[in-house]
Amino acid sequence: MSQADLTMGHHVPEMEPSPFAIPAKKLAMWLFIISDVMTFAACMIAYGFLRNFTSDWPRPFHSSTVVSVMVMTFILVSSSLTMVLAIRAAKSDDRAGAFRWTLITMGAGVIFVILHLREWQGMIDKGVRMNANPWGSSLFGALYFSVTGLELLHVVAGLIALLIVGLGYRSRRYSSTDLENCNLFWQFINVVWMFVVPFVYLLNVAN
Amino acid sequence: MQTVEKQRGIGKYLIVYLCMLVISAIEVAIAYRHIDGVQMVAQMMALVILSAGLGIMFFMNLAMEKRSMIIAAAIFALFVLGTINYGWTDSFRLVSGAPFSTYH
Repeated sequence: MSQADLTMGHHVPEMEPSPFAIPAKKLAMWLFIISDVMTFAACMIAYGFLRNFTSDWPRPFHSSTVVSVMVMTFILVSSSLTMVLAIRAAKSDDRAGAFRWTLITMGAGVIFVILHLREWQGMIDKGVRMNANPWGSSLFGALYFSVTGLELLHVVAGLIALLIVGLGYRSRRYSSTDLENCNLFWQFINVVWMFVVPFVYLLNVAN
Repeated sequence: MQTVEKQRGIGKYLIVYLCMLVISAIEVAIAYRHIDGVQMVAQMMALVILSAGLGIMFFMNLAMEKRSMIIAAAIFALFVLGTINYGWTDSFRLVSGAPFSTYH
């Protein structure tokens, strides 16, 4: 009999049921996603506000950029599907399969990051900086790099999380719930990209 | 001990995946149409909400959670979308002059 049992007088403390009947880790991940959504929402509000308020807002994106962004979208959406397949395998206790799909997801994420950096390099080569650009309002560069940079940071963080949790799941240190939490974060990144593409890129397509 | 779940087919996920790609293609088509800026934003926003909704409900498995969680997520999402759309339209208010503004 433990000291705690003696102290409590054999009364076992009852745990309150978890809100929404989901594991605590999953609830914590949802709450984190909610807070992160507010961060992105603030960025999008600032972006929209300044874009409307600025008379000389440039529209510099030509079809080459649009094609590149669509390829990035295809890769990220595909990685969402592969991550869902990883979770599906994990729920069937197919650890090898789950890890394989997680690796494929990570591969797609790495390709996305490379293309994103390539896109940035293209803009930098054209003279776009955080405080200047050759076409119009200097705010364009600041907002473009800030919003897309925040998305890129989340993708990189997601890749690191997938690597750690994926390896941990394969070695049975983590459970399928942990992999599922990584999936939530990865899908959240995809959802944010769905907002970034039309409002940062497509609304600024050159006439 | 983990319970092993028998998994259904992946047809549902493939349909959602294809829908998201089609929505992205439609957004590109809208971007190249010569329409009013407000109309373009409204159409893009509608498609984005649809795409994001599919991702959240099926890829994040929110549709499989308890109804109370879905309602909580929906209320939060509406709040975020409301603040975004208020923020953008508020910029027009500043440009054209807020009520009782000293600038005319």
